Amino acid sequence: MTTPNPFREDLVSRSRAESCSIVIFGATGDLTHRKLIPALYNVAVDGELPTGVKIIGFARRDKSDADFRSGLEELNRKVSRSGHDSEIWESFIQNVSYHTSEFSDPAGYRSLAEKLDAIDADHGGKGNRLFYIASAPEFFDEILVNLKNAGLNEAKPGCWARVIVEKPFGTDLATAKRLNEVVNDTFQERDTYRIDHYLGKETAQNLMVLRFANAIFEPLWNSKYISHIQITCSENLGMEGGRGGYYEKSGALRDMVQNHLLQLLSLVAMEPPTDLSADGVRDEKVKVIRSLRQWDTPEKVAQNVVRAQYTAGHVDGNPVPGYREEDRVSPQSNTEAYVAVRLLIDTWRWSGVPFYIRMGKRLPKRSTEISIHFKEAPCVLFNAISGGVPGSNVLVIRIQPDEGISLRMVSKIPGTSLRLEPVKMDFHYATSFGKGSPEAYERLLLDAVAGDATLFARRDEVEEAWRFIDHIERAWHQSPNPPPMAEFVAGSWGPKEADDLLHSDGNAWRRL
Amino acid sequence: MSPSTDAIPDVCPELGVAVPVAAIDLELRKLWEQDDARTNASLMNLVVYSEKPGALIENSEIIRSLTRDHACRAILVGIDRTEPTPSLRAWITAHCHLADGRKSVCCEQIAFHLTGRVTGRFRNTVFAHLNSDLPLVFWWQGELSDILTESLVRVMDRFIIDSSAWVNPAASFAMIEEVSGSNPDLIIQDHAWTRSWQFRVGIAGLFDDPVALQALPYVQEVEIIHHSDHRNTALQVLAWLAVQAGWKIISSKGTIAFESSGGSAITVALHANPTSPPLSAVTIRAGTTQVQVTQKTGASHVERTLDAGPYHASSLSPIDPTISAELVAVQLARGGRNSLYQKILPAFRAMLEA
Repeated sequence: MTTPNPFREDLVSRSRAESCSIVIFGATGDLTHRKLIPALYNVAVDGELPTGVKIIGFARRDKSDADFRSGLEELNRKVSRSGHDSEIWESFIQNVSYHTSEFSDPAGYRSLAEKLDAIDADHGGKGNRLFYIASAPEFFDEILVNLKNAGLNEAKPGCWARVIVEKPFGTDLATAKRLNEVVNDTFQERDTYRIDHYLGKETAQNLMVLRFANAIFEPLWNSKYISHIQITCSENLGMEGGRGGYYEKSGALRDMVQNHLLQLLSLVAMEPPTDLSADGVRDEKVKVIRSLRQWDTPEKVAQNVVRAQYTAGHVDGNPVPGYREEDRVSPQSNTEAYVAVRLLIDTWRWSGVPFYIRMGKRLPKRSTEISIHFKEAPCVLFNAISGGVPGSNVLVIRIQPDEGISLRMVSKIPGTSLRLEPVKMDFHYATSFGKGSPEAYERLLLDAVAGDATLFARRDEVEEAWRFIDHIERAWHQSPNPPPMAEFVAGSWGPKEADDLLHSDGNAWRRL
Repeated sequence: MSPSTDAIPDVCPELGVAVPVAAIDLELRKLWEQDDARTNASLMNLVVYSEKPGALIENSEIIRSLTRDHACRAILVGIDRTEPTPSLRAWITAHCHLADGRKSVCCEQIAFHLTGRVTGRFRNTVFAHLNSDLPLVFWWQGELSDILTESLVRVMDRFIIDSSAWVNPAASFAMIEEVSGSNPDLIIQDHAWTRSWQFRVGIAGLFDDPVALQALPYVQEVEIIHHSDHRNTALQVLAWLAVQAGWKIISSKGTIAFESSGGSAITVALHANPTSPPLSAVTIRAGTTQVQVTQKTGASHVERTLDAGPYHASSLSPIDPTISAELVAVQLARGGRNSLYQKILPAFRAMLEA
């Protein structure tokens, strides 16, 4: 049993990040340059990166340490949240090195092991290791198998070896299961961190606090008081920068709904966990996904899911092409750039409460939010008034941008007559807390180094999500009578069919 | 700046417009109506109390900066105890900050200037203008005085002090203990403690390394170099080390030493340097292992180093702020119960009395 460090007590209210070697596979990629290294650098700026952390970039391109560092510095200067401090950067970057190897070359992993052993030798032969697989998904298996063959998955006594896997975790249930088997054949589940950067966002983390630290919400958080819940993720961008190639293979449902939006849904709908441990929280989240009513026939999919592509239109005043005219998109493409889903959660708490998720490209603006629509108050008192009661209470949790929470309620308009209008109580993070939040990757990387998996997806969560998504994908792409692909003009709020989806329940999409 | 009430005009750029005390709420409402401010933001009541001449205007500048990150209703109190005639004047203003190119986030400020015998009037004046339901953070600048009473402390949530500014810190802590008996939840935040944050985080981080942790039971010497005005910060770090490591404090004739839980002696050396930062170096030695956190004069970073024979590890971290406004900003941002400070306080006070 390791003696705890007595000086850690009460210094920070989070799990302790431990010194380790971090190996990033796919080190020459955009994710490493734009997100991972700037995140680690900003953690260092905040003084939270443990002393002795070494970062090794692993990639195929032949590069020297100096070339690698110079490329990282160039981008860090542009994108770092806290700016670029040359003195801290110099101290930070001296612990960053580059390791050239094909992902498929066993010798490259053996030499990596030697490099890590040399680092560990300085620590009396001990050392923790974190492997971050940030490569293209087709290399995931190969990297994991080679890590195992080189013995790098085995932690030394008293140490740990962990792996972070980037999305996508497979492309359907079968591939996700296979990937999970490869991952779990290499690393134990408790050492596996499937990253979903949405869970690292401040407002997503605040969801549990909002629900379970405020006594006024939880008693109302059920089918007795809530009419329905909407989760919207709208993007004004299309397929710029060659994104069409990737998007054609995934589509809105697999790219965003299977992971980010179902994760948000599970945080909104879960029961209170027994504790705040990683498994305590994830046990409750997975129950939500498992309780989703399955849309397992093309007919059910047609009734509950709308897919669409945008046609040419205007966004931010600029003309934009239709989806099928986008770069690297097939003119006959059958990939959805918009999806709206009605979900039902078959639990006591949520019986009869529809959840609506929509995600689309080329919508009027970028926004991700969750809105909780409460049932209308009995109108026995005010329904005789001209205009009646204008709408019900809506609690909105804005995930990005302009993170915050607002509550719509009804108020009397000042005057001698009795007229009612909705008013909004609005809490903006940026207004109340001037200091900017850390980037999601900063929090998540620190959590992985500290061994806190609460904000990472567990194997069963991923597989249950795929189980739900697969039925829809099959209905779209494998049934003889697939539900139709709807269309909407770029820059509008989606197709009429998506509006009809809610109208049939007597609801309407919230105007963002 | 003259301490006299007359020295502050009715319309003062820093403090705003003078208003009758009885009409403060009404005047604040008018201020919001005539201003193009979009949002009146407030997360707390922040009372800044000073008996220093000219402090109102200085503190208004501090609040202007502080409200960029910490939305609050600021209540500034300046007291002139040399003027025997009782008087009470008030000014109101709002500090607004640009967000997205718009003047959108504003915090209101009420400034009071009191003369004469003020104890009861001061307390009631403050109580009457607190934003309901929001916590009260009370920043006391300088030496404590008889204005600090039990009934005032009872309504505070957070009490910000700077024990380094006190002539007799032992007596001042005794006074706080006496008046805070009825408020066991009071959170005390001491600038002297906040000034050592990066040093403590640095030491804790270095002891995460098994090499340093293994050496902890064998520590023989602790050496601290501090600024001459910041002995309290050094003593608090010593108290923290002793309490957390389970060392017994042995003080006699003005010297401090420790005894480890294994019974071996640990020498303590404190060196005052009038040109150094508040803390310049904290060094812990155990045989050939040395854990050290240093900040050179004028440096923008703190350096953490661990040496054990040929093994060397080092990293940089930011320096702690030194000016009061920044220290308060850090304290407000960190929040929490500050329970570690409460834990080390008895050991620190014991060293003060050594």
